[in-house]
Amino acid sequence: MRLWQVALLGTLLAVFGLFGYGLTLNPRHIPSVLEGTPAAPFAGEELFSGEPVALEALRGKVVLVNFWASWCTECAREHKNLLRLHDRYRSHPEFAMVGIVHQDEAEQARDFLRRFGGGYPNIVDASGAIAIDYGVYGVPETFLIDRDGTIRCKHFGPIVGSNWDRIADGWVHSLVEQGELNSCG
Amino acid sequence: MRLVVALLAVLLIAPAYGELVREDPLEAQVRELARDLRCTVCQSESVWESNSTLARQMRELIRTRLAEGESREDVLRYMQSRYGDFILMAPPKRGLNWLLWGLPFVLLVLGLTLLGRTLAAWSRAAAAGPAAAPPPMDEATRRRIEAELERLGEER
Repeated sequence: MRLWQVALLGTLLAVFGLFGYGLTLNPRHIPSVLEGTPAAPFAGEELFSGEPVALEALRGKVVLVNFWASWCTECAREHKNLLRLHDRYRSHPEFAMVGIVHQDEAEQARDFLRRFGGGYPNIVDASGAIAIDYGVYGVPETFLIDRDGTIRCKHFGPIVGSNWDRIADGWVHSLVEQGELNSCG
Repeated sequence: MRLVVALLAVLLIAPAYGELVREDPLEAQVRELARDLRCTVCQSESVWESNSTLARQMRELIRTRLAEGESREDVLRYMQSRYGDFILMAPPKRGLNWLLWGLPFVLLVLGLTLLGRTLAAWSRAAAAGPAAAPPPMDEATRRRIEAELERLGEER
């Protein structure tokens, strides 16, 4: 075998190896550049009560921030799981959830919550500034913020199926109950 | 008549020219910056070119930040801190990114080298003259061919 044939074969094997490795990864887990950085502060008025909601006021708690929209079918799919998570930690003093309505009208978002149920505060990100601060691509996207206000994990896509196990029983349970989270994978 | 046509032409061209000259410098800055940022929900479109809601919101944010006195580099740094290098239309020339910039040229050089060597080998073969004469035919084969040809002639 000639040298160039060996080089060509080696390159092809390397490319196929790279593709193969890519197939083993979770496409829903986007390693955000924000993981490990301070969560940008945000504030707004609660969708129904009009009361102020601010991330700063939740310092000391583990906070799950979920970007969603009423027109987003994947958001509707994961909604019952978000309510389940909220119910699970309803009385826990160190856990909070905030919904951020992305590229949607307040009234549409209210209709969605009336229809599918609510429980935790939601605010509208009318200008998109909060979404851009969090490097959001599209909805649904979910961020887990620790007690120190650091973004620990980001999830892209609905929290259903195996992602529910990974996020509810993994991320949230570890951080809230054990105060530790080693990996977002 | 010519004078009327000339006047009409001036009247028609003047507004367009005036518009060009009067472009808000802030808008020009927004345009230049938005052209260098990728629309994160599109396929190979910049924030300037895209009509998606997120791209429009990004343009508005860029406008606000520039108007507040931030420099082009400040805004680029901010966007990169939120979305990583992916937000840039051209990947920054550092680390593994050099592969993206350099590999096409390396492959081009390799391809040209391979092509050159193949062509050289062909021209060497052509210069060496016609291929060597085939080995002489053995007697048995020659007789068999002649017999076949004769039989063909009889059949006609």
